[in-house]
Amino acid sequence: MSDLPMDAVPAPAPALAPGVAAPPARRRARLPLLVAGALLWLALMLLVALAADLVSPYGYTALDLRNRLAPPALMGGTWLHPLGTDELGRDVLSRLIASIRMSLLIAFGATVISAVLGVSLGFLAAHRRGLAEGAVLALVDFQAAMPFLVLALAVLAFFGNALPLLVLLLGLHGWERYARIARGLAVSAGAQGYAAAVRGLGASPWRVYGRHVLPNIASTLIVSMTLAFPEIILLESGLSFLGLGVQPPMTSLGNMVGYGREYLTRAPWILLAPSAVIVLTTLSVSLVGDWLRDRLDPTLR
Amino acid sequence: MIRFLGLRLGRAILTMALVVTFAFVVLRLSGDPALLILSADAPPEAVAAFREAWGLNDPIWQQYLRYFAAIARGDLGQSMRDGRPAVELVAERVPATLALTVPALLIKIGLGIPAGVYAALHRNSFADRAVMLLAVAGFTVPSFVLGLVLVLVFAVGLGWLPSGGQDSWRHAVLPVVTLGVGGAAVLARFTRSAMLEVLGQPYMRTALAKGVPWARAVRRHALPNAAIPTVTVVGFMVGSLLAGAVVVESVFSWPGVGRLLVVAVANRDLAVVQCILLLVAATMVAANLAVDLLYGALDPRLRGPARGATA
Repeated sequence: MSDLPMDAVPAPAPALAPGVAAPPARRRARLPLLVAGALLWLALMLLVALAADLVSPYGYTALDLRNRLAPPALMGGTWLHPLGTDELGRDVLSRLIASIRMSLLIAFGATVISAVLGVSLGFLAAHRRGLAEGAVLALVDFQAAMPFLVLALAVLAFFGNALPLLVLLLGLHGWERYARIARGLAVSAGAQGYAAAVRGLGASPWRVYGRHVLPNIASTLIVSMTLAFPEIILLESGLSFLGLGVQPPMTSLGNMVGYGREYLTRAPWILLAPSAVIVLTTLSVSLVGDWLRDRLDPTLR
Repeated sequence: MIRFLGLRLGRAILTMALVVTFAFVVLRLSGDPALLILSADAPPEAVAAFREAWGLNDPIWQQYLRYFAAIARGDLGQSMRDGRPAVELVAERVPATLALTVPALLIKIGLGIPAGVYAALHRNSFADRAVMLLAVAGFTVPSFVLGLVLVLVFAVGLGWLPSGGQDSWRHAVLPVVTLGVGGAAVLARFTRSAMLEVLGQPYMRTALAKGVPWARAVRRHALPNAAIPTVTVVGFMVGSLLAGAVVVESVFSWPGVGRLLVVAVANRDLAVVQCILLLVAATMVAANLAVDLLYGALDPRLRGPARGATA
């Protein structure tokens, strides 16, 4: 890996003293190889999630009791079950596909919830100032000060577990970052001409923030969402791994790893397939997120 | 400085009060505690007696005040499963957790900060890219996957180390490595960006322009300034010494606070969960306060009478 095309800035700038910013070199719109690979993987995952029922060879709860703990095709098994089967003879590939759909669905839902919540509270703080702002900032501090996993576990202990609750709970992860960003950007946008102009024309706050401020800060928010998405996948899979997230008979990537752990020595493939998917997916989203950030919004560095 | 600290102390107390309130609200929202603990088909007399014993018939604000008072006395209730005080149950697990998280923290600092500084000083070199790629990988591989892969290789495959339990120091190696590597990656990434930001500051250019050698400029100007944001992240890591090992302890069946939390959540043993929640919050708040004190030592701007203009 001698020439990692991580950020393909050609033009080796004339040697400037360290600390002197070079004039922004015009970047060529060539996709770095790693990012292209990441995008391909994500497209594949999305396709699998959307067409889960079409591409899945078996039902994900279907039992095949004659082929229990069958190894994957590449580890000496047959192509009947390309990724092997588990203790109950359930097809690992089919379960993997169902898990991908579940995990992505939860992560998308939670990301959207936390972005909407955070941006709304951030705008509220920027608009009302005073007491509302103080309250939002205190909540932001509180959230930022607690390890989220512990908060999430506490809520699950108190309320028990259900899928909608889990999505909502994960939606509370990271809202404080959106709130901070949205508040900061909205305050500075409010000082700019365009917001004042629209307000002068008699627009309601909803219109000012929704139609004018939001589009102007959208790229920053999208980048933050890409950076938060893998964290939510990791959080969900961690909770499910502990047996406190998605509950059987539903399945998610973390669930499969948790279940596969019992068969670590006899049937490592049950655990390796979902682990690989988790790692590749979060890695891909992170790479794309970093790349987007560098392109769209260098201020977030 | 005094005012700054007073402000911070007030904030710390406010955060703790918020956590206590959070625990109380969530506890009450989650349904009737009597029915939760006694099961739904308990005889009505037993339910009534239980409600009387725990003061569940009083107005909610009285319960709230009593709750605060009890916590201030250090009384966090009994484990609803085995009747022992929750504080005791949690306290006896703390040493086991620290035995994992303290060495892991040393690995994070010892590995992450030098790697980040080196990467920043050699920006865009091969080493920088390797460190960054490793850092992204370390950040995206969940700890349970890393832990299980380590078990697969070193316990199942090579048979060098045990896969779980807590009998000797050899049992701690894999969990400590699992914890340390992931954290080191995060810290390296963060240190690198803090350093890069500092290296681009005008004062670095000024120092170099007046002839300060590069090594000295880095040592005297760049490192202390980059230390300020880095200390925040390290502070967060210190604050999560107790709670940072929930998943890893479960992977390696290590009998620490995190394992206790998971079991208590699964059993809905609310007193224990709440005790851990408060303990973790207190550690976190204390660590944040310590970070603020360190800021004062690191950043002379905070020592003056005014805190300086905030942008």
